[in-house]
Amino acid sequence: MAVDRRKVAVFGAAFVLRLLLVCLFPSLPDLLTGRVEVSTPVNSFKRLQEGLFLYIRNVSPYDGGVFHQAPLLLPLFALLPDVKSSPFPTAIFYFFVDLVNAHALISISESGQSVQTRLHSAMRKHIRWDGVSIAAWFLFNPFTIATCLARSTSVFTTTGVLYAVSNAVDGNSINAVLALGFASYLSLYPALLFIPLVLLCYDQQAQSSKAPNTVRFFVQHGAILLASVAGLLGLSYLVTGNFWEFMSATYGFHLLVPDLTPNVGLWWYFFIEMFDSFREFFLGVFWLHLASYVGGFTARLRRQPLFIITSLLGVFAIFKPYPSISDASLYFALLPLYRHLFPLMRYTFFAVSALLYSSLLGPAFYHLWIYAGSGNANFFYAITLVWSLGLSILLADSIFAALRDEWEQANPESQGQEVKQI
Amino acid sequence: MTVPSLLSLLLALAVTLWSSPVSASSDYHEQLFLQPLPQSSLLASFNFRGNSSQQSFDNQHFRYVPRALGQILQHAHTKELHLRFTTGRWDADSWGSRPWNGSKEGGTGVELWAWIDAADDEEAFAKWITLTQSLSGLFCASLNFVDSTRTTRPVVSFEPTGHHPDANSLHLLHGTLPGEVVCTENLTPFLKLLPCKGKTGISTLFDGHKLFDAAWQSMSVDVQPICSSDGDCLVQIEQTVDMVLDIERSKRPRDNPIPRPVSNDQLVCDTSKHYNADDTCYPLEKVTDKAWSLNEIFGKTLNGICPLADSSEQSVCLRVPHEKGVFATPGASELKKDDGFTRCFSLPASGPFDLSIPEQQLQTEVPLQEPVLHAERTIVGHGQERGGMRIIFGNPSETNAVDFIYFESLPWFLRPYIHTLQATITGHDGIRREIPASDLVTETFYRPAIDRERGTQLELALSVPAASTVTLTYDFEKAVLRYTEYPPDANRGFNVAPAVIRVLDGANSRPLYIRTTSLLLPLPTPDFSMPYNVIILTSTVIALAFGTVFNILVRRVVSVEEAAALNAQTLKSRLLGKLVALRDRFGKKEMKVE
Repeated sequence: MAVDRRKVAVFGAAFVLRLLLVCLFPSLPDLLTGRVEVSTPVNSFKRLQEGLFLYIRNVSPYDGGVFHQAPLLLPLFALLPDVKSSPFPTAIFYFFVDLVNAHALISISESGQSVQTRLHSAMRKHIRWDGVSIAAWFLFNPFTIATCLARSTSVFTTTGVLYAVSNAVDGNSINAVLALGFASYLSLYPALLFIPLVLLCYDQQAQSSKAPNTVRFFVQHGAILLASVAGLLGLSYLVTGNFWEFMSATYGFHLLVPDLTPNVGLWWYFFIEMFDSFREFFLGVFWLHLASYVGGFTARLRRQPLFIITSLLGVFAIFKPYPSISDASLYFALLPLYRHLFPLMRYTFFAVSALLYSSLLGPAFYHLWIYAGSGNANFFYAITLVWSLGLSILLADSIFAALRDEWEQANPESQGQEVKQI
Repeated sequence: MTVPSLLSLLLALAVTLWSSPVSASSDYHEQLFLQPLPQSSLLASFNFRGNSSQQSFDNQHFRYVPRALGQILQHAHTKELHLRFTTGRWDADSWGSRPWNGSKEGGTGVELWAWIDAADDEEAFAKWITLTQSLSGLFCASLNFVDSTRTTRPVVSFEPTGHHPDANSLHLLHGTLPGEVVCTENLTPFLKLLPCKGKTGISTLFDGHKLFDAAWQSMSVDVQPICSSDGDCLVQIEQTVDMVLDIERSKRPRDNPIPRPVSNDQLVCDTSKHYNADDTCYPLEKVTDKAWSLNEIFGKTLNGICPLADSSEQSVCLRVPHEKGVFATPGASELKKDDGFTRCFSLPASGPFDLSIPEQQLQTEVPLQEPVLHAERTIVGHGQERGGMRIIFGNPSETNAVDFIYFESLPWFLRPYIHTLQATITGHDGIRREIPASDLVTETFYRPAIDRERGTQLELALSVPAASTVTLTYDFEKAVLRYTEYPPDANRGFNVAPAVIRVLDGANSRPLYIRTTSLLLPLPTPDFSMPYNVIILTSTVIALAFGTVFNILVRRVVSVEEAAALNAQTLKSRLLGKLVALRDRFGKKEMKVE
């Protein structure tokens, strides 16, 4: 009961904080919607409004260069009242999506999957935050709040991913894959989480009952994923009426990266400055690079599937074509599940400093480039490099800590010793 | 305005000359119309019109329709063509409504629209590209840069002016080059299209130095089929040049064009000023109109008449009050029209012709017609990330609402958000009120841009109530381009084509057009010196992340002692192995020597 009260308090406080911010600063949501760090071409609320405007007037929103989000968002937002005249219903809808995400996070935390899996048991189980603390960490993270107030549509992808994971740790493998299908339908990249997610489901099933046939298990769940995505695409076809048009405007847009609006990632400036003849080559290299982590993580961290998912979300936050701080906030939401690894990390101070440094200087340098005219594009570009560097140090460090934890499990006698990698 | 205006006169002239195209003794007409405008400006409006029967056009017998142009049109299956080269700005506040009701002018730069006969859109576009490429060569203009991103297909803004029996298969395509600098190299091919090629007739007055020094000038070429009721068709080519010259500026001698201060004895001082003294003067504006003559203004002599034109035609008309003294070269006959303002001259059959107007003071002034609509378009906001477009329409009429079509084509890198379209209206009382845009906009034709494929096309049917000002605003976002897509002068900004406004006037079947000025759009720019640096730096960060992560993944975790032991072992064995290998080699060599 006491825990429940804490949960209610955290959720209520998060809700009230958001409401206060919206009421006290009515222009804040629109300001955040316009920030390149929060809104990218694939999750911007303003672009969604434009798409919705065209959709309501029976003009295909995909026959244009502005709207690149999933078609099913259109009828969903058409149900909400007009944002310009009454902004509160939409804002409150987004608040609830955040709370729903936090709820999923609590159930992931409470399953204990982060410290105790079928094949691995962490050495420092006692160093742990409980579910409500992790939810509070997520809900009061300024990145999450900014994403929520900016009404970025990537929160729905976050919901999909978190529900996929929370269903997987609870053993509802079909629901998990369906949720992943939803997330993949919205923004394509979560499809890469399929293998670790099915591994997680497999482990859960093997733990609770007899281990199923591996190949059959994978094929079955792959089929479910494909079916769910196909079903959503079929519904989208009913909504838009032109299959290839929306496919190329949404997934083609993700894959080919034609819009080079600045964001916190590494792709935009690279492809602005890329020589035309090498554009396709580097596009392929970047995507291959992004996908290559799936194999590496899965092979080495097989014993901790949830950690694979967490680390992959970190990789996506750095190397996605259109990353925003909402991707980072999703990574930061899952990272505290591994609180027991924090003592094993070596460069925490450096990583956190780099992240703080870039999140404070990023907006300033962007202002210098775009508004003041006293800096050029390199200013903001340099900050995105630092941001990516900070995130990748954090990522590498957490993987190192996880491997060391595995090593300590294998050699309990040498716990706390200095280690080296050879 | 009870007094007939310049426009209605031009209209009347055009209609009388048009009404009997087949029976006219000559199929070629040329006309020069001059009108002094306020602020010591002079509007000179040249018009050249030639006809050819459809049959001879189809059989490639070219007489007045130039072969170079005619063959391009035939090759590109173009039935009707309108080409405009414009520079400068028509100052509607001082000069009143536009010559030819704006139907012979284009937006700043080059504007081209044509009706092309084709089976479908793709074929029409292919022919359009053929047309623009060929015209580009013919007129020495960058028309070949009219690609799919600069081509639009307006729905309601333009209507064919010619008569087309099979209008269903015609496709209207419209392209603009707002950044094109119109200059002498466009005038020379323009003159070559004329039957007399600038050698005789009124076209001898053209001089690139004067024409492109004008405050506003517009050259147009129109080709259209004209059919009479009994089915005889003509192909008509009409070329016009309109320019507003500053009289003072044009009179400066070419070899000494620097303006000099007025000498002391010619200064007219305001003696009522208290500081007026021998050495202090507040100069007064001259109340008299400036003296000018054709030779002075154009720097050339009008040399004879074009022998192909009707010799009895009065080809030079001047619109000044009848009481004004005008001296023409002897041999030219003068005819004063009944309206009290227009007089026309028929040129002497040979020899030069000149008109000169001495400095004089008159009470009567030629009335100017007020424009039916004022339009103004500006970019608002600051920063290189986003901005807003603001369009202001003012209806000066106290009684009538004005209906019009507002057409704009935007480049793809300007991304408008149409859902932010807002309207405010200021009525008689001068109070600004926000109203829903749908109250004013009766129809919208909108085709959003696709990156690197096509531009935005927006047509709004609007109505502005009497004596009110309507302001439309919408937000837009500026795209960031690839660095190769920026022009060499990237920080100058990008030109946005002027908006075209077609005023719908039920009573007047002739179209009335207004164009706004073109806009300059600054875009965010990357650092152009950085491609290698960016590739290297980004790749370094990626390599660092990839390297670190996979380094951690592929290596084995061991304790420090174990690592030291392993390292030492490997080092020792490696050294030993090397030593053994060396010894063996030396041993073998020694064996061989022995």
